[in-house]
Amino acid sequence: MNSPRIELRQLTRKLPSGGRELTILDRVDLTFQAGEFAAVLGPSGSGKSTLLALMAGLDRPTAGEVLIDGMAIQSMSEDELALLRRHKIGFVFQSFQLLGNLTARENVLLPIELSGQPDPVGRANELLAAVGLDDRGHHYPSQLSGGEQQRVALARGFAARPPILLADEPTGNLDGATGRRILELMTELRRRAGTTLVLVTHDPAVAALADRRIHFRDGRVERDEQPVLAVPAETGALS
Amino acid sequence: MSPGFFLRTLLRESRGSRGRLAFFIACLAVGVSAVVAVAGLSASLDQGIRREARQLLAADVAVRGNRPIPPEVDGALAAFHGVERTNLRETVTVASVPGRDGQPGPSQLVELKVVDGVYPFYGKLVLRPGRPLHELLSPRTAVVASELLARFGRKVGDDVYIGGQPFRVAGIVVSEPDRVSISFTLGPRVFLSGAGFARTSLEGQGSRVSYRALFKLPEGITASGLDVAAEILRGAVPRGETYRVETWRQAQPALRENLARIERFLGLVALLSLFVGGIGVAQSVRAWLAGRLDAIAVLKCLGLRPREIFPLYLGQTVLLGLAGSGVGIVAGAIVQLILPRLFPDLIPAELINPWQPMALLRGLALGVGVALLFSLPPLSAVLRVPPARVLRRDAEPLPRHRWVAATTMLVLGLGVWGMAALQSHSPRLGAEFTGGVALVTALLAGAAFLVTWLVRRLPRDFASLWLRQGLAALARPGAAGASAIVALGLGVLVVLGMSLVQQRLAAQLSAEMPANAPSAFLVDIQPGQWPGIEKVLHDSGATGVESVPVVMARLKAIDGVKVEDLVERREGERRWGLTREQRLTYMKELPKDNQIVAGALWSDPARAEVSLEKEFAEGIGAHVGSTLSFDVQGVPIDLEVTSLRTVNWQTFGINFFLVVEPGVLESAPQQRLAVARLPRGGEQRAQDALAASYPNVTLLRIREILEKVLKVLQRISLGIRFLGGFTVVAGIAILAGAISAGSSRRGREVALLKTLGMTRRGVAATFAAEYALIGLVAGGIGALGGTALAYGVITRGFQIPWQFNAVSLAVALGGTVVLAVLAGLAASYRALERRPIEVLRAE
Repeated sequence: MNSPRIELRQLTRKLPSGGRELTILDRVDLTFQAGEFAAVLGPSGSGKSTLLALMAGLDRPTAGEVLIDGMAIQSMSEDELALLRRHKIGFVFQSFQLLGNLTARENVLLPIELSGQPDPVGRANELLAAVGLDDRGHHYPSQLSGGEQQRVALARGFAARPPILLADEPTGNLDGATGRRILELMTELRRRAGTTLVLVTHDPAVAALADRRIHFRDGRVERDEQPVLAVPAETGALS
Repeated sequence: MSPGFFLRTLLRESRGSRGRLAFFIACLAVGVSAVVAVAGLSASLDQGIRREARQLLAADVAVRGNRPIPPEVDGALAAFHGVERTNLRETVTVASVPGRDGQPGPSQLVELKVVDGVYPFYGKLVLRPGRPLHELLSPRTAVVASELLARFGRKVGDDVYIGGQPFRVAGIVVSEPDRVSISFTLGPRVFLSGAGFARTSLEGQGSRVSYRALFKLPEGITASGLDVAAEILRGAVPRGETYRVETWRQAQPALRENLARIERFLGLVALLSLFVGGIGVAQSVRAWLAGRLDAIAVLKCLGLRPREIFPLYLGQTVLLGLAGSGVGIVAGAIVQLILPRLFPDLIPAELINPWQPMALLRGLALGVGVALLFSLPPLSAVLRVPPARVLRRDAEPLPRHRWVAATTMLVLGLGVWGMAALQSHSPRLGAEFTGGVALVTALLAGAAFLVTWLVRRLPRDFASLWLRQGLAALARPGAAGASAIVALGLGVLVVLGMSLVQQRLAAQLSAEMPANAPSAFLVDIQPGQWPGIEKVLHDSGATGVESVPVVMARLKAIDGVKVEDLVERREGERRWGLTREQRLTYMKELPKDNQIVAGALWSDPARAEVSLEKEFAEGIGAHVGSTLSFDVQGVPIDLEVTSLRTVNWQTFGINFFLVVEPGVLESAPQQRLAVARLPRGGEQRAQDALAASYPNVTLLRIREILEKVLKVLQRISLGIRFLGGFTVVAGIAILAGAISAGSSRRGREVALLKTLGMTRRGVAATFAAEYALIGLVAGGIGALGGTALAYGVITRGFQIPWQFNAVSLAVALGGTVVLAVLAGLAASYRALERRPIEVLRAE
């Protein structure tokens, strides 16, 4: 049997805070299959973003394991983690995190060139066209609106054809209509590429788009709504 | 990562940083310009000397020494057909003209050059009338510098007296090929022929004559032929004697060695300003990276490895280093063009060519090197940027690798040493310089830390609002001032230190002599002349007249080891101590300014004894109990060292390295040396009178010679202070950079203070108080360091008493404060101009 794309075993993260230890994540066990679209839900401070950081090797667990395609990553060096992200993980952030010194096209180009894919410029243009920004590629992030910046970030997230995309409150800084457009784009791109998408949000309406919803509270999985348990009525809740 | 991708990413990521790193470029450019100016000027002078080498030697090959050229040299070059030879003798003597009405006429110290043969073989000796020297000179004529005629009120065709004989002035010297304009001279030039010199009473008694034989080899001689000729001559002169053989192709090795020594020293001073600039580089990089942390986190997120990101940013510092060095190179070239205009007597403008590829390359290499090295410590922070920062701004930095800090410091230390070694052409000097700079920087940093620590604990309630704000700003944890204080302090240290040394030397040299110090030396007195000369001196109002016998001798062996063998193992001054013409005197009791430090004076009735000056003894490797064998003008004499003594040379009394027990040398051929204290104007009167009756005697005025020495010292000191000024400028640039790096914080501060009702002028005043305090602390620490440096140099190096110089200290402190305030306010101008609402809205 194929190993799951992402597997978390007894994942624990504690942070020192004012002289004592704060448990952010508490012995979390989760698996994500290839091509799955999961939303991680929970109030702020419930450990969602930390979960994302640990899955991407941006942070290191206090205990437990993270396996990507069956490989434990918690003991990898910073260099190995960087290579893992380069080839396997794309990101979309709440605050876009575009590089301000680079144009929109250059932001999209960076992961393509980094992963050594053929025809980087063609691929970048194709992605910019897919997010509807083919005529704005030469603009710097500061010259783009929030929605446009997030669309560039989406294009960048998918640029290196990563098998995994991690999204952290991708609509958090956008107004409702723009947010919806971004989500539509993201699900469309994911569907075409077959990407495993883990999306963190505190907004049930956003989470409703996902096949699977995992509810977090106080660093633990409170409820895991698997696809079979999904309530169809919630799909229309975006409005 | 492919090189193309690396370069593209590097260039893209550097966008938008360029303007903000203006201070990086400025800090570097200041130091590079100093380095390029020194290297370029020195290369220009060196090229000038090489280009004019044949003219400067006036011959193809020359033998020089302080004794007559030995006869062995005469036939040495017989193998070269058509070789020509000219003999030169040079000495200092007094020229005069007869007076009227029984009064002696005026007299003047002159530099005499006696020429036998064609002179010069190469180069131009410009004379008026424009005829060759050997045609103008006869046994009864002289060619003199026009200053001498002006001094005497005579013209061409009149007689001047030299060594008691009249010489008709047949022409005027306008310029000489081998007299360097920047060298030290005691008086105007006088040329005589060998036959003319033989008529004077100066022949044969000259204890201070230098001898030169110039050779012109046949046309078209090859470089190797020249070397062969030089080797033959070297083989001909007796071993262990201080004759130097030099070809024009060697291009004045002694002069160039002196220049190189000055270059090495000034090069290090220039390097110091570059290192101070390096502190500014480190600070700019730190401030710049603080604004790039998010971008670095994103790059890590996108899969760039730390080892790829680090060179990406290091590459940007290289680009900036290239830019800063480029600006510095242009500035350095401009300095080279301006300097000769400012100091025409110091640097001959016609020699300067700022297009010196090696100097420019040196500036570029050192500039980029400093940019790289000093960026390393702040850049190592790149490795610790947590990629999780993209999700949480407060994500803790990645764990520190101990070896990173250690390696960084090691590379920095080795790099600094390498550059210092390159500038000083000496790994050892480079190491000493590196150690010294590290120590001084550590001390300055420690002092800056201590002061801010104290300020933090100082009660501030007593102070006015402005001062309170200023003190609070200085005490703020992580205040940007610390590196500015260190850098500015270093600059003040160098400039003040050098200027204190120079002022103290000037004061010491030009001060009224101690009441009982002599004002003139009289040399070359024949024993029989002394009673008459003593009378002349007394008639001129002299007091404190003293005279001692002088016996010329040569050291042959120490404890049976021949000087020729000892010399082989010695260099420079030590060699000179062994091979010089030794001047011996004899006396029963030592002068008051001598103190026995080892052994006892005239303690062994059985032996002929000598007392040595301590440092001289160390130089030649003799001690109490050593036997020195002398050749006293043909007679061998053995003397046992029975005492060592120290001499206080500042009394300007008559003192000797070698004092012999009475009863040994009385019958040897000898002269007398005398000192006298003459009233103002009495020196000239005595010289005029002596020139009339005792033309062989030379009177040397101590004050005049000291003033000439002082002038040379002042020139060197000027160069050092000029370069030290670059260090101050770099320090000021760093202060401005630190202030401007914190300009967003400052903008918020201004907005807040204005919101609270403070006027713009009021805010400016609180800022000025802060900058003044920084200036005061930097100036204070630098002044303290500079004073310590000067104290060391003055009391240890020059061994003259220390004198506290409050005015210079006050000027240094005040100047630093004013500079700091001006630069600080200029750098915070934009922050001061901001309206409160702009800043608060942007929060």
